[in-house]
This record gives sequence, C-alpha cells and structure tokens, in this order.
Amino acid sequence: MAGSRRGAPGEGIERAPMKVDGEADERVIRTVIDSFPTTVKDFQKVGAGVLRAKIDRRDLFRACKLLRDRLGFEHISMISAIEYADRFELVYHIACYGSCMLLELITSTPKDDPTVDSVSAIWGGANWQEREAFDLMGIGFNNHPKLERILLPKDFMYHPLRKEYKEGP
Amino acid sequence: MAEMWINMGPQHPMTHGLWNLRIKVDGETITDAEPEVGYLHRGIEKICENRTYTQILPIADRLCYGASLSWNHLYCRTVEDLMGIEVPERAQYLRVAALEMQRIASHLMWLAAYAADLGMMIGFIYAMRDREIFIDLLQSLTGSRITYNFCRIGGVAHDVPPDFERDSLRACDYMEKKIREYYDLYEGSKVFMMRNVGVGVLTKEDAMNLGVTGPPLRASGVRYDLRKDMPYESYPEIDFQPITHPDGDCYARYCVRMEEMLESCKIIRQALQRMPKGKWRVLAPRNAPIGTGLGRVEDPRGEGMMYVVGDGTDRPYRLKIRSPIFVTVSAAKRMLVGYKVADVVAIMGGLDMCIGEADR
Repeated sequence: MAGSRRGAPGEGIERAPMKVDGEADERVIRTVIDSFPTTVKDFQKVGAGVLRAKIDRRDLFRACKLLRDRLGFEHISMISAIEYADRFELVYHIACYGSCMLLELITSTPKDDPTVDSVSAIWGGANWQEREAFDLMGIGFNNHPKLERILLPKDFMYHPLRKEYKEGP
Repeated sequence: MAEMWINMGPQHPMTHGLWNLRIKVDGETITDAEPEVGYLHRGIEKICENRTYTQILPIADRLCYGASLSWNHLYCRTVEDLMGIEVPERAQYLRVAALEMQRIASHLMWLAAYAADLGMMIGFIYAMRDREIFIDLLQSLTGSRITYNFCRIGGVAHDVPPDFERDSLRACDYMEKKIREYYDLYEGSKVFMMRNVGVGVLTKEDAMNLGVTGPPLRASGVRYDLRKDMPYESYPEIDFQPITHPDGDCYARYCVRMEEMLESCKIIRQALQRMPKGKWRVLAPRNAPIGTGLGRVEDPRGEGMMYVVGDGTDRPYRLKIRSPIFVTVSAAKRMLVGYKVADVVAIMGGLDMCIGEADR
C-alpha cells in the first residue's frame, strides 16, 4: 500500500489540459482544418468525446505529428485496416489523455497501391499495430522500421483478412 | 564477453501461454529484447466475418481465458453501438457487478501466477483459493466457470439468482479482509520485495508513447482509466477512484492491482445496492444497419477496443479487435534493457500476459 495514491484527473500529463466540452472540440477542429484546408473532410462529432475526420493519405504523417505535438493526442489506441470493393480504409483511433477525447482519423488508399506513411516514428505504440495490418491485410507502411509478418509465419503466402481469401476448405 | 541471443520460450515456465522472448545478453545483462507472438493466432477476426452477430458471442469469450466476461461484454457494447440499442438500467448495473467480479478474479489469477514465478508458492495457493470464491459467484450468476457467455446484445442472459446479493456482499467483506492479509504475506517476503522494487522501470513518457494501457500505465503515474475518463454502462453513477503509483517499477504494478481489487469491491457493493428492478434484456434486430460501431472498455489488462463495420446483413463486414497485451508487450524492450536475466521473469510476469487476446 505504501506509495500508491488516488490521482487527480489528468495527473501526470503536462501538455494540453483541455476538458471535454464544445470549446475543446472546436479548438481541435479549427486547428486541423486550418492546417490542412484541402485534405481534411467531413469533420464531425459522432458521440460523447468522439470526433471523426477523413484525411488524404499524403497528409497523414504531418497531421498526426500536429495532433501529438500541438493538441496533446499522445496515445494511439488502434489502427484498423478495412477492405472495401474499391479501396482500403485505414482507421486510426487516437486518444488524448488530458481531455479524454478520441479522434477517429480515416484515410483511404486505392486497391492497386495500398501504402501509407508509417506513424510509428510519432507513436511507438503504432509499430506492432502497423505490422499487424501489413500481416493480415497487406497494407504497406512507408518508413516503417521493421515491416515483417507478426502473427503469421514468415513464409505464409496470403493476407488472410482480404475478402479474396476464403475461410475453410 | 561476446553478446548472444537467448530464446526464452515458446515452452518456458515464465511465458504463461505460447510466446517467445528473444533476449540479447552481455554476460548477465540484457542489451536487447524482442518478443515474438503469434503462436496462438486463431484468426478470430476472419472467423467473425463468417458468423452471425449472435454466433460471435461465445467466440468473443474465447479471446481471453483470464477475463472472458470482459471481452464478451466489449463485443456486446460494440454491436449495441452499431445497432443503436439502449441497454436497460438493471442490465447495466448487473454488467458492472459481473465485470468487477471478473476483474478481481483476473487480478487474483495474475497474483497467483506472479507469486509462483517469483518462487513464492504459498502466495500462489492463497490467491488461487480466494479466486475460487469469485468464480463460484460468477458460476451462480452465469452457469459456467471460465467462459461465461453472460452478456447478450441488448442486455444480459439472466437475472440474478436468489441470494446473489447477500453472497456477493459477503464475498466483498471477505476479500477486503484478505487483501490486508496479502499485504503482510507478500510484502513480508524479502525475496518478493527484492525481486520487485526498482525492477523493470517504465518511465511515464515511454509508457504514454508506446501505447501501454491499464495497470502498467497507471503504475507509471498516468491517471487514465476508461471507467472514469470515457465512462460506459453505469460507471458514472458509482463512486470509486482510479489508482496510480508514481514509480513505474514491478512493485508499482503490484500495488496498483492490489488496490484496484479493493476499489472493485467498493464498486460491486454500490452496483448491487443501486440496481433497480425491471427488465434485464431488450431484443436486438437480426440485421445490423450499414455503418460502424465502436466499443472501448477498461479490461483488467488495459484498454480493450473493438471496431465493427456493418453492411446491412446479419454478419459483420469487418470486426477489428484491439488487444491491450499485444501493444503492451511491444514495450517490453524498454522495460528489459539494462536489467539482469533473472529479472525477466518478474518484469514480464508483472505485465499480466494473456496470449489468447494478444494473438487473437
């Protein structure tokens, strides 16, 4: 019991002491849209403390850097890769410890060139999640430190979460 | 002395499941480390794409054998978000009570395994004995011991059995008494303390950047608990405190988990006392609408998250699962480098690895 204690909200975080309210949401929206006026689309609030935006894949790295350095989004929660008939979509769930906000950043790649820039230089936690997306869905990540299969054996021939790969015999 | 790589695993008493830790040693000192996972990959995300929403419920249980109710609940929350279902209030309180019992059972299993790892067999036996009480409670509530399959899309499977509230409150009283006893038992052991204090330090900055969540993050001094910071079910109405510890070592992780069990007892009491009468389940449609659903909960091991894409049929188009341990174990290198080979067991044991959810 010695030493442990009940923390105050947002304790241990120096940057971005924002609260979950309309003002903070608006600040995020304004900063991101001002920085990327042509490539950020459909910025909207989808739930309590959850924001959603679409971004062009060429601006992904710069936008993520801005989100972490200036807006305090310190935590990459999840990177999901989804295959649609005409495109691959990558959904980044990025969280802010101080304001407890969650940002859903969606970017898409064409079918014949499924690559985006890696964000593992910004968040170390993205490293393995990008490897997982590469392993199971076959998305390439530029400038990734070690883009290898992680869950499946190295000599596995398919990316099993693609729709062309059928389950069972 | 020449450096060399050593494989610890996939068959090793430390690993608690199938995974491999490659460490590079210079004498006794670790200079590099690389965990390897994937031995238990069952392709659950792909299996889910070919099952109906109801058929996935028991599969979600199998993600983690230590805290299966938590994953079952997370899946239900995700699909409820996609379908836009409001869960009845009684079901919300019931879920909270069951989730906290699961958290205590999971933490006790961790404590038992951790004590055995550190060569303290008596700690294993005490913790396993008391875990049985919460397993029995969950068995009376759900009908099974490990994979409960208790939550349903739109509520829970059954109402509480007779005398459940009395038994639960009695179990909480017992547990609170026992945890004080545990402090004497574990911290009175010189071996346990020597292998814990100051070992495997993870700084606050590293913990935040590497995506570490749950007890290891809070043990590094960051107060981030989704039950408080992004509340779900009836947690906002319940009075409890997330636990933090400033040190970031193995001992801090032990302290955080021990105090979390006390907080869980508080939550169970309040949830059962405030539980209103009424329905515990609403019916869910067979087909989900086109759109996406997101679930985010505080699993005993960290931040569990699911993202589902519905395409209007009765099967999910895509279900993505975020496993807390998969991300936490990628930070292992930062915790291991600079310590001795003998510390590996304490450091990796302190993370509460569950390979079922890491490999999916």
